[in-house]
Amino acid sequence: MYRIRFHGRGGQGMKTASRILGTAFFLEGYEVQDAPRYGAERRGAPIFAYVRAAKQTIHERGVIQQPDLVIIADESLASVSSAGTLIGIDKHCVLLIVSNESPESWKHRLNLDCTVLTLAYEQLDIHQISYAGIVCTGAAARLTGIISNETLQRAIKQELAAFDESVVANNLHQALDAYKKMAEHEACVQKSQEISADNYQAPEWITLPFDDANISAPAIHASANSVQIKTGLWRSFRPVIDYQHCKHCWWICSTYCPDGAINVDDSGQPQIDYDHCKGCMVCVAQCPSHAISIIPEQQAEVAAPEVTAIPGDKR
Amino acid sequence: MNDKPVTLYRHMKDLPSTHLLGSGTAMCSGCGGLEALHEIYDIIGEKSLYVNAAGCMTLLSVYPFTPFRGSWLYTAMASAAAGAQGVRDALDILLEKKQMKADEDMQVVVLSGDGSAYGMGLSATSSAMERNLDFIYICYDNEGYGNTGQQYSGATPHAARTSTSKGSSGFRGFKKDLFSIWAAHKPTYVATVIGSEPVDLARKIEKAMQLKGPRLILALSPCPTGWDYDPQDSVEIGKLAVKTGIWPLKEYVDGKVRHTKLPKQRLSVDEYLKRQGRFNHLYQPDRNDKLINEIQIDVDDYWSEVVE
Ligand SMILES: Cc1ncc(C[n+]2csc(CCOP(=O)(O)OP(=O)(O)O)c2C)c(N)n1
Ligand code: SF4
Ligand SMILES: [Mg+2]
Repeated sequence: MYRIRFHGRGGQGMKTASRILGTAFFLEGYEVQDAPRYGAERRGAPIFAYVRAAKQTIHERGVIQQPDLVIIADESLASVSSAGTLIGIDKHCVLLIVSNESPESWKHRLNLDCTVLTLAYEQLDIHQISYAGIVCTGAAARLTGIISNETLQRAIKQELAAFDESVVANNLHQALDAYKKMAEHEACVQKSQEISADNYQAPEWITLPFDDANISAPAIHASANSVQIKTGLWRSFRPVIDYQHCKHCWWICSTYCPDGAINVDDSGQPQIDYDHCKGCMVCVAQCPSHAISIIPEQQAEVAAPEVTAIPGDKR
Repeated sequence: MNDKPVTLYRHMKDLPSTHLLGSGTAMCSGCGGLEALHEIYDIIGEKSLYVNAAGCMTLLSVYPFTPFRGSWLYTAMASAAAGAQGVRDALDILLEKKQMKADEDMQVVVLSGDGSAYGMGLSATSSAMERNLDFIYICYDNEGYGNTGQQYSGATPHAARTSTSKGSSGFRGFKKDLFSIWAAHKPTYVATVIGSEPVDLARKIEKAMQLKGPRLILALSPCPTGWDYDPQDSVEIGKLAVKTGIWPLKEYVDGKVRHTKLPKQRLSVDEYLKRQGRFNHLYQPDRNDKLINEIQIDVDDYWSEVVE
């Protein structure tokens, strides 16, 4: 059986990526399971999806814990522990990261002894974000060595039947390009045995004592403590204010920002709270003096240290 | 519109520069509902108690975190207004028994999506109005069951694609008129708002806060995920909803309906529709003149009856 896990962000098309790969396996005569998994978070937040494919009946259920292939569409997720990208990766697994850095550097950084591959991208473009998933599908198809170029195309056309031609064409182009780029690693993914129920290790449950409702009910006795959650990690691009051009009309960006992540400092200057900005770019679209630009997150990490949030309100 | 209302909010400059609703919530990047809510929350203030029906915004408070500074209570989809009755009664009892000081009283607010407000929760809401419950009902209307993948709801507009209304005509039904359904109960206040018109919104919340009894704030909430557009267009699409006349900004008070913003020269509905993937089938592969016309005529008919 093949077990393949895709990691990306909401909006990058990961759910569709796994769906198309599943369909491609199916067209090649495999039995398939495919499922997306979201947490409570949404567009921009880490999500994953997974595919199981086998020639015989699949008895396994649930999230893939022992993957044969893991693909990370957004390299910034590798360091987000809650994204769980590295769960269950062992020597036998192949890890593919969409990144311009070398496999060696990732191997070293993540301290892994499995096969690590990278797939380079040309230029990050915020409008191409929804194609991140299809690139991964194309690459995965080649890495398994099972799926032919024709089958991949059929699966894409079948799953995207509801979209217009230009969308389908763009998806085909992106997928086939990745398929081609992975040629030298064709069939490097090794399938593994189905995990048997005999070897199943039950989780270590902790039985909690029964408490009164006033203790056991999930009541929150805090005020606006959601700020402890760094939704800034959802971003792959960031808005940056050019203070040379900013006209200090904070009431525009600060009001429209859905997340309330633009604060106003004492001098009346808007400050983006990068700990919480989800990168929707509403501020960029609304700034009347076009003083806010978009840069890829990777670029920002090298260019500028994280600007710390202005805490809470001052009223 | 001669009676100049007394308001703190004349220009965008008058809006709060610091925001009370905590960031770090699980709403989508670019969520128009969250935009409206944070603007509303700034005006209602922290002495408020939110009763939240299941929907996207249930995820605002996920144990052990909350963006609220006051209280929050979660109810089933159909029962938020009944929940509000319970907490209002509890507060009244505490006040009466002097176990709570009058200045510690809280504004009871229902927060629900359109699935609840236009459908599942309507019966409990109607009964709450019957009992003249003192509460504010905020509905963020993203025109579908967003949290579960945008199935159609009683608020879905004619011809929109949802996950349960696909094909070349989209949704065959029509959006319910919740404003009028509420107004027919003769409650204290009913208003439509949108996050992209924050001054109009702030004035309406300000007014609602000065009143008592059942009050509805109905916020059209552009939803990048369910409506299928780039998150950065959320505000622009909201503005277009108003400029095309598709989302009339109005209020009902003292038995009268008043429009608070008259689009001077209404833009064609195309400007709004073609920006959203959920209306793509009206333009691709060919322009569906008939359906687009129907939508335009509907809007024109609405405004032809508006006399101010
Ligand atoms: C009685 C009941 N039916 C179904 C559900 C599942 N459910 C949870 S959220 C949701 C969608 C609610 O839609 P809406 O009120 O418009 O809010 P939105 O998700 O769009 O924010 C549904 C159907 C539920 N919680 N309760
Ligand atoms: S699905 Fe729509 S309404 Fe729900 S959180 Fe996302 S953008 Fe907001
Ligand atoms: Mg809804």
